[in-house]
Amino acid sequence: MVHAGHRVTDAHECSQLNELKMDMTGLNMLAGWTVNGDTIMVEQMPIFGGYCGGLEETAICDVATTLASFALFSGNFHLDGPIHIRWGTTTNRESLQIAAHAAAAVDANTDLLLANQYYPMAGPCTEMCLIETACQAICDTGSGRELLSGSAAAKGVVQDKTTGMEARAMGEAALTAAGMKVSDLNEIIEKLVSGYETRYNDAPAGKRFQECYDVKTVKPTEEYLQVYDNAMQQLRDAGLPIKH
Amino acid sequence: MTASRPVDIFEAYSRFNTGKRVREDQWDYITIPTNALAMKEKYQISFDDKIIPEDDDLSDRLFHAGLDMLVTTGFYNTNLGRVMYLTEDEVLEGIRKAPRKITIGSGKDKVKCKARHGNTNRAPIIEAGPTGAPVSEDIFPAMIQSYVQEPVVDALVSGVLNTVCGESATTNTPWEIRATLAEIRYVREACAMCGRPGMGI
Repeated sequence: MVHAGHRVTDAHECSQLNELKMDMTGLNMLAGWTVNGDTIMVEQMPIFGGYCGGLEETAICDVATTLASFALFSGNFHLDGPIHIRWGTTTNRESLQIAAHAAAAVDANTDLLLANQYYPMAGPCTEMCLIETACQAICDTGSGRELLSGSAAAKGVVQDKTTGMEARAMGEAALTAAGMKVSDLNEIIEKLVSGYETRYNDAPAGKRFQECYDVKTVKPTEEYLQVYDNAMQQLRDAGLPIKH
Repeated sequence: MTASRPVDIFEAYSRFNTGKRVREDQWDYITIPTNALAMKEKYQISFDDKIIPEDDDLSDRLFHAGLDMLVTTGFYNTNLGRVMYLTEDEVLEGIRKAPRKITIGSGKDKVKCKARHGNTNRAPIIEAGPTGAPVSEDIFPAMIQSYVQEPVVDALVSGVLNTVCGESATTNTPWEIRATLAEIRYVREACAMCGRPGMGI
């Protein structure tokens, strides 16, 4: 019974509303967590093409809401996730650019803890899904973020279309990208985004967890392992010296 | 003027409660785009083709544009229909109060999340999971285990149980609460099965 709920060291998540808005439900949850000394993660996913407008305006709102998570809502870390109003993903070129610029701006001027979340377009067991995920991991790592949270393949809206293999790609790409020159990472990102951004209208839907893993043994299928190896080779070809 | 103290949730509520009344559609369609554009022009924010910025001056100007946006625009409470404001000093005090490192998880499975600066050699924390995506009840533990068993993963972010005991986890019903607690139990079980019972979630 001790672990029936969240511990102080688990992330208690509250989301802001788009844009620069909050409701009473959020405030009330935050009040309880603050008094209890819980670890608080405040989320906000600014919408590119929404109320803010274009690239720079959305990045400005992203910085503003990031600061609000700490200065107004007593957050311990901020979970970002700029989302494209047309594509509904975080891995598209514009979302990556907004997230990276906002993170670099806050990173250069504060010690705040910054996270980002992952909504690629393609579904599991596809090279595109793994490349999208790895590309964002490179971007988030290169722009100084402290925590990567993902990944919700197939835009996070299709039942059972997420698996641990996408997280493996996210983590391995981040480990490899850490410490590399930002100019080199920009070249890699450009190659990767250019490769998948032409496929948004016919992105592969991928497979459900039950088709990607043996549900009893929780082992990925041979097919998915091969897809993963192919995707990692594409990352190496783009210039990321990934080992696993 | 220097801040008397950082703003907390309770001070925020007090300010919301006595704040200026604004219609939500005016906030969404007038206030936000007008102020964001004004800050873009005031701080001369213009991106080139680089995804990760390599221009330190641009990063500094973007930070101050965002800070100005928050101070000038304030924050809107959708239930009260009111706007609260905080000063630049209060924002800066709030930033100073925020932790530079936190511990996620417990025991041997806890991880420290510390501030990175630029692209340091120290990789970010990897928090893995369905990230709020819908998951069937019958495969939920196995799916969570597929993340926890990955060596590269430091912490877990859950998915959303589609049903609990076969009932839809409808928002604002007792089934929503039961589903939320069931998610946590399933996640704890998956962490234990992988020998990582203290992993942060």
